[in-house]
Amino acid sequence: MIDAHAVNLGPYGLLLVNLTLLSIIGWALWKTERNLSSQSDTIVLFLLGIFAVSGRILLEPIPNIQPVTVIILMSGIYFGVSRSIILATSVALISNLFIGHGLWTLYQAFGWSLVGIIGAVFSNKLHLNNTSSNTPLMIVAIFCAFIFDWVVSLSVLHTLGPDLLFVYILAGIPFDILHAVGNIFFVAWLASPLSEIMTRHLSVKKPLAVKEIVKNRI
Amino acid sequence: MNALIPFALTFIIISLFIYQSTKNIGNNLSAKAFATFSLVFILITFSSINTEWNRMTSELVEEVDDPHYGLPDLWDGKQAFCFHFPSPENSPSGLDDGRHHFDFDGTDFKTDKDWNQTGGCVGGFEGFENGLDLQNAAIEVTGNTFLITSTEFSFGLQIDSISGITPCDVYECASDGSSGAYWQLLHNGAYSMVGISDLVLDEDSVVTWQLATY
Repeated sequence: MIDAHAVNLGPYGLLLVNLTLLSIIGWALWKTERNLSSQSDTIVLFLLGIFAVSGRILLEPIPNIQPVTVIILMSGIYFGVSRSIILATSVALISNLFIGHGLWTLYQAFGWSLVGIIGAVFSNKLHLNNTSSNTPLMIVAIFCAFIFDWVVSLSVLHTLGPDLLFVYILAGIPFDILHAVGNIFFVAWLASPLSEIMTRHLSVKKPLAVKEIVKNRI
Repeated sequence: MNALIPFALTFIIISLFIYQSTKNIGNNLSAKAFATFSLVFILITFSSINTEWNRMTSELVEEVDDPHYGLPDLWDGKQAFCFHFPSPENSPSGLDDGRHHFDFDGTDFKTDKDWNQTGGCVGGFEGFENGLDLQNAAIEVTGNTFLITSTEFSFGLQIDSISGITPCDVYECASDGSSGAYWQLLHNGAYSMVGISDLVLDEDSVVTWQLATY
Protein backbone atom coordinates (compact mmCIF):
# COMPACT_ATOMS: atom_id res chain seq x y z
CA MET A 1 0.00 0.00 0.00
CA ILE A 2 1.17 3.52 -0.72
CA ASP A 3 1.42 5.55 2.50
CA ALA A 4 -0.34 8.58 1.04
CA HIS A 5 -0.44 10.52 4.35
CA ALA A 6 3.27 10.20 5.13
CA VAL A 7 4.31 13.72 4.11
CA ASN A 8 7.41 14.91 5.92
CA LEU A 9 6.46 18.42 7.05
CA GLY A 10 9.43 19.44 9.16
CA PRO A 11 9.13 21.42 12.42
CA TYR A 12 7.91 24.70 10.88
CA GLY A 13 5.39 22.96 8.62
CA LEU A 14 4.03 21.03 11.58
CA LEU A 15 3.80 24.22 13.65
CA LEU A 16 1.85 25.87 10.84
CA VAL A 17 -0.54 22.88 10.77
CA ASN A 18 -0.93 23.14 14.57
CA LEU A 19 -1.66 26.90 14.41
CA THR A 20 -4.26 26.24 11.70
CA LEU A 21 -5.88 23.55 13.83
CA LEU A 22 -5.91 25.84 16.88
CA SER A 23 -7.51 28.62 14.82
CA ILE A 24 -10.21 26.23 13.58
CA ILE A 25 -10.87 25.01 17.14
CA GLY A 26 -11.01 28.58 18.45
CA TRP A 27 -13.37 29.70 15.68
CA ALA A 28 -15.65 26.65 16.14
CA LEU A 29 -15.81 27.19 19.92
CA TRP A 30 -16.60 30.87 19.41
CA LYS A 31 -19.45 29.98 17.02
CA THR A 32 -20.73 27.38 19.48
CA GLU A 33 -20.70 29.93 22.29
CA ARG A 34 -22.77 32.36 20.19
CA ASN A 35 -25.62 29.82 20.16
CA LEU A 36 -25.63 29.33 23.91
CA SER A 37 -28.18 31.00 26.12
CA SER A 38 -26.73 33.50 28.56
CA GLN A 39 -25.50 32.34 31.99
CA SER A 40 -24.31 28.99 30.61
CA ASP A 41 -21.18 29.38 32.68
CA THR A 42 -20.48 25.65 33.11
CA ILE A 43 -20.61 25.03 29.36
CA VAL A 44 -18.38 28.05 28.70
CA LEU A 45 -15.91 26.74 31.27
CA PHE A 46 -15.92 23.40 29.39
CA LEU A 47 -15.35 25.16 26.03
CA LEU A 48 -12.52 27.22 27.52
CA GLY A 49 -10.99 24.00 28.85
CA ILE A 50 -11.06 22.47 25.36
CA PHE A 51 -9.38 25.56 23.90
CA ALA A 52 -6.75 25.64 26.67
CA VAL A 53 -5.90 21.93 26.30
CA SER A 54 -5.79 22.21 22.49
CA GLY A 55 -3.62 25.33 22.73
CA ARG A 56 -1.16 23.72 25.11
CA ILE A 57 -0.83 20.55 23.03
CA LEU A 58 -0.70 22.23 19.62
CA LEU A 59 1.74 24.96 20.70
CA GLU A 60 4.02 22.47 22.45
CA PRO A 61 6.79 22.91 19.79
CA ILE A 62 7.23 26.51 21.03
CA PRO A 63 8.70 26.31 24.53
CA ASN A 64 6.56 27.84 27.29
CA ILE A 65 4.17 29.66 24.93
CA GLN A 66 0.57 28.55 25.56
CA PRO A 67 -2.77 30.23 26.32
CA VAL A 68 -3.54 28.24 29.49
CA THR A 69 -2.24 30.75 32.06
CA VAL A 70 -4.24 33.65 30.60
CA ILE A 71 -7.43 31.59 30.25
CA ILE A 72 -7.20 30.39 33.87
CA LEU A 73 -6.36 33.90 35.10
CA MET A 74 -9.46 35.24 33.35
CA SER A 75 -11.64 32.39 34.58
CA GLY A 76 -10.48 33.30 38.10
CA ILE A 77 -11.46 36.92 37.48
CA TYR A 78 -14.90 36.16 36.08
CA PHE A 79 -15.90 32.77 37.51
CA GLY A 80 -14.14 32.73 40.88
CA VAL A 81 -11.75 30.49 42.77
CA SER A 82 -13.45 27.09 42.72
CA ARG A 83 -14.19 27.04 38.99
CA SER A 84 -10.75 28.26 38.03
CA ILE A 85 -9.24 25.48 40.17
CA ILE A 86 -11.42 22.93 38.37
CA LEU A 87 -10.26 24.35 35.04
CA ALA A 88 -6.59 24.51 36.13
CA THR A 89 -6.47 20.95 37.38
CA SER A 90 -8.40 19.50 34.44
CA VAL A 91 -6.28 21.30 31.85
CA ALA A 92 -3.04 20.23 33.55
CA LEU A 93 -4.13 16.59 33.75
CA ILE A 94 -5.73 16.22 30.31
CA SER A 95 -2.98 18.06 28.40
CA ASN A 96 -0.30 16.10 30.25
CA LEU A 97 -1.93 12.83 29.21
CA PHE A 98 -0.79 13.82 25.70
CA ILE A 99 2.43 15.70 26.51
CA GLY A 100 3.67 13.65 29.45
CA HIS A 101 2.13 12.91 32.84
CA GLY A 102 4.09 12.62 36.06
CA LEU A 103 4.69 14.21 39.43
CA TRP A 104 5.04 17.61 37.74
CA THR A 105 1.34 17.50 36.81
CA LEU A 106 0.52 18.03 40.48
CA TYR A 107 2.76 21.10 40.64
CA GLN A 108 1.36 22.45 37.36
CA ALA A 109 -2.20 22.00 38.67
CA PHE A 110 -1.19 23.78 41.86
CA GLY A 111 0.58 26.56 39.96
CA TRP A 112 -2.34 27.23 37.63
CA SER A 113 -4.79 27.03 40.52
CA LEU A 114 -2.74 29.74 42.21
CA VAL A 115 -3.06 31.82 39.02
CA GLY A 116 -6.84 31.38 39.17
CA ILE A 117 -6.86 32.40 42.82
CA ILE A 118 -4.82 35.52 42.01
CA GLY A 119 -7.36 36.38 39.30
CA ALA A 120 -10.24 35.94 41.73
CA VAL A 121 -8.55 37.99 44.46
CA PHE A 122 -7.88 40.92 42.10
CA SER A 123 -11.15 40.43 40.24
CA ASN A 124 -12.49 43.93 40.96
CA LYS A 125 -9.39 45.61 39.54
CA LEU A 126 -8.98 43.36 36.50
CA HIS A 127 -12.52 43.26 35.14
CA LEU A 128 -12.49 44.54 31.56
CA ASN A 129 -15.14 46.62 29.90
CA ASN A 130 -15.35 48.41 26.56
CA THR A 131 -13.30 51.39 27.70
CA SER A 132 -10.76 49.85 30.09
CA SER A 133 -7.16 49.13 29.16
CA ASN A 134 -5.58 45.66 29.10
CA THR A 135 -2.45 46.94 30.84
CA PRO A 136 -3.28 45.91 34.46
CA LEU A 137 -4.25 42.44 33.22
CA MET A 138 -1.00 42.23 31.22
CA ILE A 139 1.05 43.14 34.29
CA VAL A 140 -0.68 40.50 36.41
CA ALA A 141 -0.27 37.96 33.57
CA ILE A 142 3.48 38.66 33.52
CA PHE A 143 3.70 38.03 37.28
CA CYS A 144 1.59 34.90 36.91
CA ALA A 145 4.05 33.49 34.34
CA PHE A 146 6.88 33.72 36.86
CA ILE A 147 4.78 32.49 39.78
CA PHE A 148 3.54 29.46 37.83
CA ASP A 149 7.02 28.56 36.56
CA TRP A 150 8.58 28.89 40.03
CA VAL A 151 5.86 26.76 41.62
CA VAL A 152 6.46 24.07 38.99
CA SER A 153 10.22 24.40 39.61
CA LEU A 154 9.59 23.25 43.20
CA SER A 155 9.12 19.75 41.77
CA VAL A 156 12.92 19.51 41.35
CA LEU A 157 13.17 19.35 45.15
CA HIS A 158 12.32 15.65 44.76
CA THR A 159 15.46 15.03 42.73
CA LEU A 160 18.01 17.85 43.12
CA GLY A 161 17.48 18.99 46.69
CA PRO A 162 17.03 22.50 48.08
CA ASP A 163 20.64 23.64 47.44
CA LEU A 164 20.19 23.62 43.68
CA LEU A 165 16.65 25.03 43.62
CA PHE A 166 17.84 28.64 43.31
CA VAL A 167 20.34 27.71 40.57
CA TYR A 168 17.58 25.84 38.73
CA ILE A 169 15.19 28.79 38.95
CA LEU A 170 17.93 31.21 37.88
CA ALA A 171 18.82 29.08 34.85
CA GLY A 172 15.16 28.99 33.84
CA ILE A 173 14.60 32.76 33.78
CA PRO A 174 14.82 33.03 29.93
CA PHE A 175 12.03 30.43 29.76
CA ASP A 176 10.02 32.40 32.34
CA ILE A 177 10.42 35.48 30.13
CA LEU A 178 9.14 33.45 27.16
CA HIS A 179 6.08 32.50 29.21
CA ALA A 180 5.55 36.13 30.25
CA VAL A 181 5.81 37.42 26.67
CA GLY A 182 3.42 34.69 25.53
CA ASN A 183 0.97 35.85 28.22
CA ILE A 184 1.25 39.46 27.01
CA PHE A 185 0.44 38.24 23.50
CA PHE A 186 -2.58 36.22 24.60
CA VAL A 187 -3.90 39.04 26.82
CA ALA A 188 -3.57 41.50 23.92
CA TRP A 189 -5.45 39.28 21.48
CA LEU A 190 -7.77 37.16 23.66
CA ALA A 191 -8.65 39.26 26.71
CA SER A 192 -11.37 41.38 25.09
CA PRO A 193 -13.28 38.54 23.36
CA LEU A 194 -12.88 36.26 26.39
CA SER A 195 -14.05 39.04 28.68
CA GLU A 196 -17.12 39.58 26.52
CA ILE A 197 -17.95 35.86 26.52
CA MET A 198 -17.36 35.42 30.25
CA THR A 199 -19.37 38.51 31.16
CA ARG A 200 -22.31 37.22 29.13
CA HIS A 201 -22.26 33.92 31.00
CA LEU A 202 -21.70 35.17 34.51
CA SER A 203 -24.16 33.37 36.73
CA VAL A 204 -26.24 35.85 38.69
CA LYS A 205 -27.13 34.82 42.21
CA LYS A 206 -30.87 34.63 42.73
CA PRO A 207 -31.93 37.39 45.11
CA LEU A 208 -33.53 36.32 48.35
CA ALA A 209 -37.11 37.34 48.87
CA VAL A 210 -36.25 38.69 52.29
CA LYS A 211 -32.84 39.58 53.60
CA GLU A 212 -33.25 38.22 57.09
CA ILE A 213 -34.77 34.93 58.04
CA VAL A 214 -37.57 35.24 60.52
CA LYS A 215 -36.48 33.41 63.62
CA ASN A 216 -39.22 34.18 66.08
CA ARG A 217 -42.88 33.95 65.49
CA ILE A 218 -45.30 36.02 67.37
CA MET B 1 25.70 40.87 30.59
CA ASN B 2 27.26 43.03 27.86
CA ALA B 3 26.06 40.67 25.16
CA LEU B 4 22.44 41.12 26.31
CA ILE B 5 22.53 44.93 26.07
CA PRO B 6 22.20 45.06 22.23
CA PHE B 7 19.12 42.81 22.47
CA ALA B 8 17.56 45.06 25.12
CA LEU B 9 18.36 48.24 23.18
CA THR B 10 16.92 46.84 19.93
CA PHE B 11 13.78 45.77 21.76
CA ILE B 12 13.29 49.17 23.43
CA ILE B 13 13.88 51.17 20.22
CA ILE B 14 11.46 49.09 18.11
CA SER B 15 8.89 49.12 20.96
CA LEU B 16 9.04 52.92 21.11
CA PHE B 17 8.61 53.08 17.33
CA ILE B 18 5.55 50.81 17.53
CA TYR B 19 4.13 52.87 20.39
CA GLN B 20 4.59 56.14 18.47
CA SER B 21 3.06 54.65 15.31
CA THR B 22 -0.04 53.20 16.96
CA LYS B 23 -0.78 55.36 20.01
CA ASN B 24 -3.54 57.31 18.26
CA ILE B 25 -5.34 54.25 16.96
CA GLY B 26 -8.00 52.79 19.24
CA ASN B 27 -9.20 49.23 19.88
CA ASN B 28 -6.05 48.31 21.82
CA LEU B 29 -4.13 48.13 18.54
CA SER B 30 -1.05 49.52 20.21
CA ALA B 31 -1.09 46.69 22.75
CA LYS B 32 -1.67 44.08 20.06
CA ALA B 33 1.16 45.41 17.89
CA PHE B 34 3.53 45.56 20.88
CA ALA B 35 2.55 42.05 22.04
CA THR B 36 3.00 40.54 18.59
CA PHE B 37 6.35 42.25 18.10
CA SER B 38 7.51 41.11 21.57
CA LEU B 39 6.57 37.51 20.83
CA VAL B 40 8.29 37.45 17.43
CA PHE B 41 11.37 39.20 18.88
CA ILE B 42 11.74 36.79 21.80
CA LEU B 43 11.21 33.74 19.58
CA ILE B 44 13.87 34.90 17.10
CA THR B 45 16.42 35.90 19.74
CA PHE B 46 15.64 33.27 22.38
CA SER B 47 18.49 30.92 21.51
CA SER B 48 21.08 33.72 21.78
CA ILE B 49 19.55 35.21 24.94
CA ASN B 50 19.42 31.79 26.60
CA THR B 51 23.06 31.06 25.71
CA GLU B 52 24.22 34.45 27.05
CA TRP B 53 22.17 34.00 30.22
CA ASN B 54 23.63 30.53 30.82
CA ARG B 55 27.14 31.94 30.41
CA MET B 56 26.36 34.80 32.82
CA THR B 57 24.92 32.55 35.51
CA SER B 58 27.38 29.64 35.21
CA GLU B 59 29.52 28.79 38.22
CA LEU B 60 32.85 27.04 38.49
CA VAL B 61 32.87 23.36 39.47
CA GLU B 62 34.12 23.09 43.06
CA GLU B 63 34.62 19.32 43.42
CA VAL B 64 38.41 18.86 43.40
CA ASP B 65 38.29 15.23 42.25
CA ASP B 66 36.08 16.11 39.27
CA PRO B 67 38.05 16.35 35.96
CA HIS B 68 35.99 19.49 35.32
CA TYR B 69 37.24 21.07 38.57
CA GLY B 70 37.52 24.84 38.12
CA LEU B 71 35.66 24.83 34.80
CA PRO B 72 32.20 26.43 34.31
CA ASP B 73 29.35 24.05 35.15
CA LEU B 74 27.93 25.02 31.77
CA TRP B 75 30.38 22.48 30.32
CA ASP B 76 29.31 19.54 32.50
CA GLY B 77 29.14 16.46 30.29
CA LYS B 78 30.99 18.24 27.47
CA GLN B 79 34.60 18.36 26.29
CA ALA B 80 37.12 21.09 27.02
CA PHE B 81 40.72 21.86 26.05
CA CYS B 82 42.98 23.90 28.34
CA PHE B 83 46.28 25.71 27.75
CA HIS B 84 48.05 26.59 30.99
CA PHE B 85 50.97 28.95 31.54
CA PRO B 86 52.89 28.97 34.82
CA SER B 87 52.80 32.69 35.66
CA PRO B 88 51.52 36.04 34.38
CA GLU B 89 55.03 36.98 33.23
CA ASN B 90 55.16 33.93 31.02
CA SER B 91 51.70 34.28 29.46
CA PRO B 92 50.57 35.76 26.19
CA SER B 93 49.11 39.24 26.54
CA GLY B 94 45.44 39.23 27.44
CA LEU B 95 45.70 35.85 29.16
CA ASP B 96 47.91 36.89 32.07
CA ASP B 97 45.22 37.74 34.62
CA GLY B 98 43.95 34.24 35.42
CA ARG B 99 42.35 31.38 33.54
CA HIS B 100 40.00 32.53 30.78
CA HIS B 101 37.06 30.39 29.68
CA PHE B 102 36.07 30.46 26.03
CA ASP B 103 32.80 28.87 24.93
CA PHE B 104 32.54 26.65 21.84
CA ASP B 105 32.03 29.72 19.61
CA GLY B 106 35.13 31.47 20.93
CA THR B 107 33.36 33.85 23.32
CA ASP B 108 35.54 34.66 26.34
CA PHE B 109 32.81 34.71 29.01
CA LYS B 110 34.43 34.02 32.37
CA THR B 111 37.85 34.49 33.94
CA ASP B 112 38.96 32.70 37.08
CA LYS B 113 41.47 35.10 38.63
CA ASP B 114 42.05 32.79 41.61
CA TRP B 115 43.29 29.91 39.48
CA ASN B 116 46.93 29.08 40.23
CA GLN B 117 47.94 29.28 36.57
CA THR B 118 47.16 31.62 33.70
CA GLY B 119 45.92 30.82 30.20
CA GLY B 120 42.58 29.60 29.05
CA CYS B 121 40.20 26.72 28.47
CA VAL B 122 38.01 26.31 25.44
CA GLY B 123 34.97 24.13 26.12
CA GLY B 124 31.42 23.14 25.42
CA PHE B 125 32.44 20.74 22.64
CA GLU B 126 30.64 17.49 21.92
CA GLY B 127 31.32 14.41 19.87
CA PHE B 128 35.10 14.62 19.42
CA GLU B 129 36.80 11.22 19.62
CA ASN B 130 40.43 12.21 19.02
CA GLY B 131 42.57 14.64 21.06
CA LEU B 132 44.16 16.31 18.03
CA ASP B 133 40.75 17.05 16.48
CA LEU B 134 39.57 18.66 19.73
CA GLN B 135 42.78 20.69 19.99
CA ASN B 136 42.40 21.95 16.41
CA ALA B 137 38.77 22.93 17.08
CA ALA B 138 39.78 24.81 20.24
CA ILE B 139 42.51 26.71 18.38
CA GLU B 140 40.24 27.50 15.44
CA VAL B 141 37.32 28.98 17.45
CA THR B 142 39.65 31.22 19.48
CA GLY B 143 41.17 32.72 16.34
CA ASN B 144 44.63 31.27 16.84
CA THR B 145 44.98 32.74 20.36
CA PHE B 146 46.49 29.38 21.30
CA LEU B 147 48.43 28.81 18.09
CA ILE B 148 50.70 25.79 18.36
CA THR B 149 53.99 25.14 16.60
CA SER B 150 55.25 21.57 16.58
CA THR B 151 57.86 19.26 15.14
CA GLU B 152 57.06 15.87 13.71
CA PHE B 153 59.37 13.13 14.99
CA SER B 154 59.38 9.41 14.35
CA PHE B 155 57.91 8.86 17.82
CA GLY B 156 55.18 11.43 17.24
CA LEU B 157 54.40 15.11 17.48
CA GLN B 158 56.43 17.35 19.81
CA ILE B 159 54.99 20.72 20.78
CA ASP B 160 57.51 23.54 20.42
CA SER B 161 55.41 26.53 21.47
CA ILE B 162 51.88 27.51 22.44
CA SER B 163 50.85 31.11 21.91
CA GLY B 164 54.53 31.88 21.27
CA ILE B 165 55.64 30.54 24.67
CA THR B 166 58.44 27.97 24.42
CA PRO B 167 59.40 25.86 27.47
CA CYS B 168 63.05 26.96 27.49
CA ASP B 169 61.99 30.63 27.54
CA VAL B 170 60.33 29.99 30.88
CA TYR B 171 62.63 27.40 32.49
CA GLU B 172 66.35 26.94 32.20
CA CYS B 173 67.31 24.20 29.80
CA ALA B 174 70.77 22.59 29.95
CA SER B 175 72.64 22.56 26.66
CA ASP B 176 73.47 18.87 27.07
CA GLY B 177 69.77 18.05 27.53
CA SER B 178 70.22 16.74 31.11
CA SER B 179 67.53 19.13 32.37
CA GLY B 180 64.91 21.23 30.70
CA ALA B 181 61.24 21.81 30.20
CA TYR B 182 58.50 20.58 27.87
CA TRP B 183 54.80 20.84 27.16
CA GLN B 184 53.11 18.11 29.15
CA LEU B 185 49.80 16.56 28.12
CA LEU B 186 47.13 15.80 30.72
CA HIS B 187 43.88 13.94 30.14
CA ASN B 188 41.23 14.43 32.83
CA GLY B 189 43.91 15.73 35.20
CA ALA B 190 46.26 12.73 34.79
CA TYR B 191 49.41 12.47 32.68
CA SER B 192 48.55 11.08 29.28
CA MET B 193 50.38 7.89 28.34
CA VAL B 194 49.86 8.58 24.63
CA GLY B 195 50.44 11.59 22.39
CA ILE B 196 47.72 14.07 21.43
CA SER B 197 47.14 12.45 18.03
CA ASP B 198 46.52 9.04 19.64
CA LEU B 199 44.47 10.28 22.56
CA VAL B 200 40.99 8.71 22.65
CA LEU B 201 38.48 11.04 24.29
CA ASP B 202 35.49 10.50 26.55
CA GLU B 203 32.30 12.47 26.05
CA ASP B 204 33.34 14.86 28.86
CA SER B 205 37.13 14.80 28.49
CA VAL B 206 39.29 17.67 29.68
CA VAL B 207 42.63 17.81 27.86
CA THR B 208 45.36 20.15 29.09
CA TRP B 209 48.71 21.35 27.88
CA GLN B 210 50.90 22.70 30.68
CA LEU B 211 54.61 23.33 31.14
CA ALA B 212 56.66 20.80 33.11
CA THR B 213 60.35 20.35 33.87
CA TYR B 214 62.65 17.31 33.96
